[in-house]
Amino acid sequence: MTAVSLLDDALAGAPEAIEGARTLEDLEEVESSLLGKASTVGEVRRSMGAIDPAKRPDVGARLNDVTAEIRRLLAQRRTRLEKSDVNRRLTGDAIDVTLERVQIQRGSIHLIQQTIDEIVDIFVGLGYQMATGPEAELAWYNFDALNTPPTHPSRLESDTMYLEFGDPADEVLLRTQTSPMQVRWMERNDPPVYIVVPGKTYRLDAIDVSHLPVFHQIEGLAVDENITFSDLKGTLAHFAREFFGPKTEVRFRPHFFPFTEPSAELDVSCFACDGGEASCRVCKGAGWLEMLGCGMVDPNVFEAVGYDPGLVTGFAFGMGVERPAMVRHGINDIRHFVDNDIRFLRQF
Amino acid sequence: MKVPLVWLQEFIDLPTADPTELSEVLAMIGHDVEGFEVLDPDWTNVIVGRVAEIAPHPDADKIRVCGVDTGSGAEQIICGAWNFDEGAYVAVARPGAVLPGGLEIGRRTIRGVESKGMICSERELGLGDDHAGILVLDGSPELGTDLANLVELPDVVFDLSITTNRPDAMSIVGIARDLAAYYGIEYSIPERPLVTTPGATDVSVEIEDPEGCRRFTAREIRGVTVGQSPLWLRHRLAKTGVRAVSNVVDVTNYVMFELGHPLHAFDAKSISGNKLIVRRAQQGETLVTLDDEERGLTSDDLIIYDADGPTSMSGTMGGARSEVSFQTVDVLMEAASWDPPTIMYMSRRHDLRSEASTRFERGVDPHLSDQANQRASAMVADIAGGEVLEGYVDAIGKEIEPAEIDLALSEVTRLLGPGFSSARVADILTRLGMEVSGEGRLHVRVPTYRPDVSRPADLIEEVARLHGFDKFDSTLPLGVVGGLTVEQRRERLLYRTLAGAGLSQAVTLPFVGEADLEALERTDEIGSLLKVKNPLRDEEGRLRSTMLPNLLNALRYNISHGNKSVALFETGSVFMADPDETDPRLPCQPKRLAWAIVGSFGHLVMGDASLDADADLSLGIFRHLADALGLQDMTLRKATAPGMHPGRTAVVEMGDEVIGHVGELSPLSARHFELPDHIAVAEVDLDPLLAPTGLEEAEAPSMFPFVEFDLSFLLSDEVPVGELLKTTRSAARGLIESVSVFDEFRGEGVADGMRAVAIHYRLRANDRTLTNEEVAPVRDVMIEAAASLGATLRGL
Repeated sequence: MTAVSLLDDALAGAPEAIEGARTLEDLEEVESSLLGKASTVGEVRRSMGAIDPAKRPDVGARLNDVTAEIRRLLAQRRTRLEKSDVNRRLTGDAIDVTLERVQIQRGSIHLIQQTIDEIVDIFVGLGYQMATGPEAELAWYNFDALNTPPTHPSRLESDTMYLEFGDPADEVLLRTQTSPMQVRWMERNDPPVYIVVPGKTYRLDAIDVSHLPVFHQIEGLAVDENITFSDLKGTLAHFAREFFGPKTEVRFRPHFFPFTEPSAELDVSCFACDGGEASCRVCKGAGWLEMLGCGMVDPNVFEAVGYDPGLVTGFAFGMGVERPAMVRHGINDIRHFVDNDIRFLRQF
Repeated sequence: MKVPLVWLQEFIDLPTADPTELSEVLAMIGHDVEGFEVLDPDWTNVIVGRVAEIAPHPDADKIRVCGVDTGSGAEQIICGAWNFDEGAYVAVARPGAVLPGGLEIGRRTIRGVESKGMICSERELGLGDDHAGILVLDGSPELGTDLANLVELPDVVFDLSITTNRPDAMSIVGIARDLAAYYGIEYSIPERPLVTTPGATDVSVEIEDPEGCRRFTAREIRGVTVGQSPLWLRHRLAKTGVRAVSNVVDVTNYVMFELGHPLHAFDAKSISGNKLIVRRAQQGETLVTLDDEERGLTSDDLIIYDADGPTSMSGTMGGARSEVSFQTVDVLMEAASWDPPTIMYMSRRHDLRSEASTRFERGVDPHLSDQANQRASAMVADIAGGEVLEGYVDAIGKEIEPAEIDLALSEVTRLLGPGFSSARVADILTRLGMEVSGEGRLHVRVPTYRPDVSRPADLIEEVARLHGFDKFDSTLPLGVVGGLTVEQRRERLLYRTLAGAGLSQAVTLPFVGEADLEALERTDEIGSLLKVKNPLRDEEGRLRSTMLPNLLNALRYNISHGNKSVALFETGSVFMADPDETDPRLPCQPKRLAWAIVGSFGHLVMGDASLDADADLSLGIFRHLADALGLQDMTLRKATAPGMHPGRTAVVEMGDEVIGHVGELSPLSARHFELPDHIAVAEVDLDPLLAPTGLEEAEAPSMFPFVEFDLSFLLSDEVPVGELLKTTRSAARGLIESVSVFDEFRGEGVADGMRAVAIHYRLRANDRTLTNEEVAPVRDVMIEAAASLGATLRGL
């Protein structure tokens, strides 16, 4: 047999031998049987000197090719054997993935805060700024400047918490609404005004499933040249769709607030039942949810802050935070918000 | 306000009777419908009959045999009631009738005599409580008429929520007027001429307080018979939610609902001295009102006097002394218009809020007083008999003039958008009863029943309301530049950082109890707490001066509900009764951040010890937060603070300013809140944390190798480790990349009052590889510097 045909035979037998190796140790033996000194390939390499010089280049070339091919097959097999070897060991390291050995505890942001942030962000997206103001407030800002005369029932001690502080002429109370910040902002800033004001508000209410003496509101105010009632509608319709979903319908009903005229209440279509299912837990079949109060800024308010009601117009709106949060999350008792039971807080 | 549809239809021919559609329309013109109730008769087959003859039962003496004419023949019915005679009109349930509760009426034989049906009582029909006898119908209704017709069934009752600015809409006629304006149709009040008798009332009226009483009208009806009102009247009142009292009183209520003007009926004979005087009361006077309560009067109360003293409270409740009773023969009908704030304060002061006071405090049109009085007097004469005297009292206190307003069309379009013509505006306002003249610039005269309309803006509101809010386009104002301020963004970063670290944000009611402050050794704060003048409960009487008590109470609440590991934080205002620096008219109300933690905290690894709430945890959280917020120039120093653990508390300083404390609650304080000994707490001023920090200069990470070594110092307990770290770090002249303390040991081999502190230092230069030759002297300098703090290398 010629050296070349010996090499060809060795190559032909190699795949079976290599595939036959079941472990890395086997494979090492196979390697030495295929390429070692005692192997056909080894013998040919050793006998190269004895080969006819004329044939030597061909035999040499063939020797290199066969050696390379066998090495390639060996490497391929080694990779596979190594992989299954590692996998076998890793299988031994298996864990119970349902055991929850490590718990990365997170805290939570209060649902009221999350709701405020979400609402504020919607208006920030429309070019609004956020402002906050004092909770202990002058009656002048909370009432008088907002066109609420001294004889208005909301000013009675049965509704408003008054504070023992200061000069009786500058009566101080716990603000009953976030609206006084409208006045503070306009006093300090020229138009245009586009602000939202979140914060705590206070009323003399007994605590029950739907009342707290302290709750949260978000106020909005837009004052500019040429703001019309249509701008109020468009802005709040946009808000309602962002907050309750793109299919949300809105309805504006005439209402009364001392500091806006005309005034309206905004209803949004029920997001839970798409309107008027008698058994709906959210709207109780009404199809609509009362969302907020709004209106065009009363000229008396502009005059109180030194704006010329002949030059600017504007709209304002105010909404509770607790109620929409309760409606969206199916919370039926407002006291959950201030009990601070960690099981409640961490749901959100 | 309850509005029955049939009553409403007396004044307006509505294009629809569909309650859902009408609710929608009412809501869209500003009268929110809280609901409506469809009323159907609770019976079938009950008709009007006339008792033609009554005969005794041959075999029973407590029941009688009646021959009843039902219009289609006579029926024999046995009846056990005795409150009627032959000729009485009655309600007959015919055989086959079903009464409320499902009672079926059939033919039956009672002691040998057949009875074809039943003569019904009010209670049997579900129309009232009266079961003393059968229902005897008033007048002579047509025989065979369905009884439901007499009580106006079926009907729909709308429950309207009328806004406080619309006293004119607090009546059936007022709603009819608004609906007529909406639909562009007519409404009308039927002609009801008042028949009078010559003569005049002997009672005169004097208004001594013209500010309080705008107008006082009084008519006398002589010779009335006070008794029960007819069925239709009682039933109309029942639908509005008012109980029938007597025909005279019922009429006053009826006219109030119909026209919106409350009335009061006096027993004319009980007016002493034949003179009524309206003036403010004198402090200390008393009046027994018709609910038999004796009420102490104040000088703010507006009272009607006669010669014997106070006899009635204006607009709120009549007096017992002059009350109409079943013995009353002569009635003095009062229709007066009162000053709204006077009635508002009075009704609240005496806790007498009623349908009448609600209307008066919103404003009752004095120009309506005489119309209401005529209507009521005529009705009394009609149903209670008697004669209305021609001469009556009409005293004017304060004239209310119609408002005259000039309205430029440009004002309307500026606020409501283009698309409003003079004609359109004038049309809307005219429909609302206003007199409009001019074009472009309209001159509008407003009826006095609309006290809410006095300025152009009020007219524009009416135009928008009647035009229909749904008909306006929806547009967005042109964009402006907005966004959150740096402080607002940092506040979000703050609470997200804390929530990410494992704390939950709490919201507590910002009040505080004195006992809680005492437990926190803050007794000296109690005197300067900001107090609520008129709290509903004592718990809401004082505003918090510190955030901690409420958070600690929240921990207690959690523990009592089985939640053992709780980490809460809160941001909010605290209050002090000291004047604010920038606006001394207001109390000081700085914002604070606080937390309180009990139990284990943070990550849990099964089988490993958990991190427990204590001062170290609190300090760790604070440093984490300070790092996240990039706070510079912030130091923590050992300190004491009220209510805090004396050895485990740090004061937080920014620059020279103390901004709060971080550490552990004193176990003594914890005990008051029923909490375990170790409670991690902190309370820090919020604003300094949120103040913008400068931009940080970036430092490229060094690519050169580092050198590490450990040093173990013996350090006095008196010297904070922080000092040692600072001193050795600065001695290393900027070569230190990181430092960490990996052990603190007290005990064997370490003298009392000392501890061994093992520190790991890693040094690296930005521009070269550090060699041992370079590091060795640096290390020596660091050790020397430590010696200045009394720290010596351990083992030396």
